[in-house]
Amino acid sequence: MSTAVQPHRHVSAQTERVPGPNFFRVLNSERIKILSLLSTRILLLCAIALMVGFAALQAWGAGQLSQSLRSGGPGPRESVNIAQLLPHLPVAGVTFSQLIIGSLAVLMISGEFTTGMSRATFAAVPTRWPVLTAKAVYTIVIGFVLTYVGGYLGGLVAQPILGNYNGLHLDMASWDVQRFMLLNAAYVAAVALMGLALGGLLRNSAGSIVTLVALQFVLPIIFQLIPGDFFKEARKYLPSNAADAMFQAGSSAPLDTTYLEPWQGALVLAGYVVVLLGAAYTALKQRDV
Amino acid sequence: MIQATDLAKVYGEKTAVDGVTFTVEPGRVTGFLGPNGAGKSTTMRMIMGLDAPTRGTVTVNGAPYIKHRAPLREIGALLEARAVHPGRTAFSHLSALAATHAIPAKRVHEVIEMTGLGAVAKKKVKGFSLGMGQRLGIAAALLGDPQVVVLDEPVNGLDPEGVVWVRNLVKYLASTGRTVFLSSHLMSEMAQTADHLIVIGRGKILADAPIQDVIDSQGKARARVRTDRPEDLSRLLARSGVSIQASEREVLEVSGLDPRTIAQIALDNRVLVYELTPLQASLEEAYMQLTKDEVEYRSDEGATAAHPSGAHAAQPAPAEAQEASR
Ligand SMILES: Nc1ncnc2c1ncn2[C@@H]1O[C@H](COP(=O)(O)OP(=O)(O)OP(=O)(O)O)[C@@H](O)[C@H]1O
Ligand SMILES: [Mg+2]
Repeated sequence: MSTAVQPHRHVSAQTERVPGPNFFRVLNSERIKILSLLSTRILLLCAIALMVGFAALQAWGAGQLSQSLRSGGPGPRESVNIAQLLPHLPVAGVTFSQLIIGSLAVLMISGEFTTGMSRATFAAVPTRWPVLTAKAVYTIVIGFVLTYVGGYLGGLVAQPILGNYNGLHLDMASWDVQRFMLLNAAYVAAVALMGLALGGLLRNSAGSIVTLVALQFVLPIIFQLIPGDFFKEARKYLPSNAADAMFQAGSSAPLDTTYLEPWQGALVLAGYVVVLLGAAYTALKQRDV
Repeated sequence: MIQATDLAKVYGEKTAVDGVTFTVEPGRVTGFLGPNGAGKSTTMRMIMGLDAPTRGTVTVNGAPYIKHRAPLREIGALLEARAVHPGRTAFSHLSALAATHAIPAKRVHEVIEMTGLGAVAKKKVKGFSLGMGQRLGIAAALLGDPQVVVLDEPVNGLDPEGVVWVRNLVKYLASTGRTVFLSSHLMSEMAQTADHLIVIGRGKILADAPIQDVIDSQGKARARVRTDRPEDLSRLLARSGVSIQASEREVLEVSGLDPRTIAQIALDNRVLVYELTPLQASLEEAYMQLTKDEVEYRSDEGATAAHPSGAHAAQPAPAEAQEASR
């Protein structure tokens, strides 16, 4: 083993010339980190598979329902408008895929702390914030693109299934389908950012994922079970319900008044992201690595 | 160069580092020695800007770590705990770190070869042995070809070949004018590697001196003397501050007199001496001596607290050791 190290250069000359960390370099470094982990790829594939699977399942369910309605079988004929459900179909899996992407975002940062990689990372980038920002950029890209692509693939798989049933047709280019896909993509990106922030705050993978699940799944149920006007009102401000409000944006159907206005929903959701991420940045700056 | 001034770190109730002041000079290997929990790793994390000091400052090449535009090119560190995601390969780990400083892939390959990781570079770190993990840590430390290298227990887990390699590497780095700061539990390892020694105990500096001075300041001069008239010689050598032990027949162990004086006395009195060997206190002994003082100091804490103004006077041997070395 040789010791191929160049002789010592002068300090001041060195700091002048040589490149140090800047945002684009950190972005590049984080890209290498994300792509070099098998777990990332597995989670991404799971999320896509889940979305496609749910879209197919829902397509089949919608077909069955329409058949039973047509044959005059039992069913709440008036309340179900299948045509109105169809645009939701490609992104039906988002309910669960948001958790996979959220967990991925949690792991992106909690994994640094649990493995000790954070010491190498933050020694290389001692200002620290570019690391979290770079991770946030990839979180947004992954959350958004994956949901859109997963939704599109889901729609493509749903189309032939729907074709088996008379009168059911899913037009992927239609306004409503595109609207839902884009809004859900933004929603998943927001949930993933919340996961990233939680991971940065708690530095613990399981704890952060559990917290995210609690926020997205458990709290809405608890709020619904507790009687009283306060919880009924407060429920509107939970991230998932705020998202439901946001999903009505651009819809031709009359607004559901049990939700906030769409723009309010979007703001509330953004509020969660901003507050959690802000706390994560502060903690990252102040706490020891 | 690393300069710490009144550097302290308190974790809740626990004072891990208690106001240390030292300088690690370039061009030599500085050993950082201390018992478990003495605060070595904590000090090193503060140097690297990972833990914020509770009090005091530490600078690397004249500026706090965080102020450097290209920190990895200024200082590289192998820290005690593994700083690697086990799911990545050695190559992608190093590539990710290199990317932050636009360090070319060529350099990544270079440090991989240098540390002997060539065969496993594309394997996941998960399967690495302790020694391979250490080598990867050293590779990461050298990635930016830094002027200051900090290694926390680098020989931990290395095989004999690896130990020799680290020893030669740090000596080589120092010979090129770099600053090398290395901690170890192995006193014998320090004796063979370090030029200068900083000894820390319970967060305080116990000694900061060239390695030889640390040894000298602790043990008195000792010599083994073989003579056919041990009783006569004992009588002649006896004086205050000198202790003599007869270990075997015709063998004396004399401490408190240097060999030349012993020889002179023997000559003056026509006593035959057929062996006169200076016995050096080993670093190990010196270290035990220092740590013993540190333990005494600990039990003295109550007394010291009772006379806050006397805190400095109450600090025993360590202060002397430091003084003696200047
Ligand atoms: N993050 C932390 N939180 C609380 N206490 C800590 C923390 N890090 C270190 N300590 C405590 O500070 C003291 C110094 O620890 P440190 O790891 O610096 O010692 P060390 O000299 O490196 O020991 P060793 O030789 O065993 O590696 C120990 O008592 C340790 O328990
Ligand atoms: Mg340690």
